[in-house]
Amino acid sequence: MLARSSLARIASQPSPLGAAPKTARNMATLREIELRLKSVRNIEKITKSMKMIASTKLAKAQRAMNSGKQYGLANSEIFQHAPSEAPAKRKLFIVVSSDKGLCGGIHSSVSKATRRAIADTENPVDADSPIMVIGDKSKSQLARVVSKNLAMSFNQIGRDIPTFADAAGVADLVMKSNVQYDSIVIVYNKFISAVSYEPAIIEVVNENSLKESAGFRAYEMEDDVTRDLAEFSLANAIYAALVEGHACEQSARRNAMDNASKNAKDMIDRLTMQYNRGRQAAITNELVDIITGASAL
Amino acid sequence: MSSATWRNVFTYNKYAQITARAVRQSLKESERVVAEKRGVTALKYQQWENGVGGQQVFLNPEEDKGVGKSAAV
Repeated sequence: MLARSSLARIASQPSPLGAAPKTARNMATLREIELRLKSVRNIEKITKSMKMIASTKLAKAQRAMNSGKQYGLANSEIFQHAPSEAPAKRKLFIVVSSDKGLCGGIHSSVSKATRRAIADTENPVDADSPIMVIGDKSKSQLARVVSKNLAMSFNQIGRDIPTFADAAGVADLVMKSNVQYDSIVIVYNKFISAVSYEPAIIEVVNENSLKESAGFRAYEMEDDVTRDLAEFSLANAIYAALVEGHACEQSARRNAMDNASKNAKDMIDRLTMQYNRGRQAAITNELVDIITGASAL
Repeated sequence: MSSATWRNVFTYNKYAQITARAVRQSLKESERVVAEKRGVTALKYQQWENGVGGQQVFLNPEEDKGVGKSAAV
C-alpha cells in the first residue's frame, strides 16, 4: 500500500519524453525496469552456461581436429606430386557447416565464400556448378541465393565430433549421385586460433584427372585401384574439413556467448542503476510529502 | 583378388566401412565399446531438383526411430 502511493509520487520526476499521463507512465516505469531486469538476468544465465559448455566441447574438438588434420595432410601429398595438367572445368562445391546456430558468423562465412567462388571472374567456374551442402544453416542461406545449383544436402552432422563414418557416408553419396564434375572444392572454416577462423578450400581431383596427370602415369596402376584411391581421398578430405569446421564452430559459439554474456552484464548494471535511482526518488518524494505534511500541522 | 566383384555393388568407402564394422564387432568388450563410438553416424540427406528439396532420408534406415524430419524444405 505504501509502495503504491510512493510510486504515484514519482509523478514529480521530470519525464524525458514529455508530460503526458505522468502518473500512469512513471508507475509503469519502475515495474517495467524490474521485469526487464529479471529477463536480462535469465538471459545472462543461459548465455553464460552455453559459453561453459562450448569451452569444454572446444577442448575435445581441438584434439580431434589435430589428429584429423593429419589425414587431410597425408591425403594432399598425392595431389601435390600428381598435379593435373588441364585446369578443372567443372567443379563440385561441397560446403561444410552445421545445423545449430548461435555460433557467430560461421555459416555465413562459408556461404559467402562459396558465392564468391562461383561469381569469381579470375578463375571462372560454370554458373550452374553443382553445390552440395552439409548442415542446415548454410543450406537455408544458399537455398535463398543459388537454389538452382543445389544438388544434395546433408544434415545431422556436427552434433558431436564428426566421425570418419560421417565423412565416408557423404563421400559415398557424392560418388553414387549422377553429378558430373572434374574436381571437387570443399569449402570449410579453417581454424586459425581460439578467437579467429577464416573460410578455406580443399581441392580434390576426381579419378579421371588423377589418371591423366603425368606423375600418376609414371606408375602403372589398375583402374579399379585408382578409383578406390579417388573415393578414399575424397572421404579423407571431407573428414579433415568436418573436424576442423566443428572446432571452429565450438570456438565461435564460445566467443559469441561470451560477448552476449558481457553485453547482458552491462545491461544489468545499467538497468539496476536506473531502478535504484527511481526507487530512491520515490522514497525521497514520500519523505518530502510527509515532512511538508507534518510542518503544516 | 584381382576379380573382386564387390566393386560392382558398392564404392570403396562402403567396403571400408563394412570391414571396419566387422573389426569393431570382433574386439574385446571394453575396447569394443570405445570403438563403436567411432563408427556412429546419424547422417540424413536429401536430393534437390530445380531448387526444391526432396524427402530427407536416413543413410542407415535401421537407426530411424520414427522421429524423422518432414519432407521438403
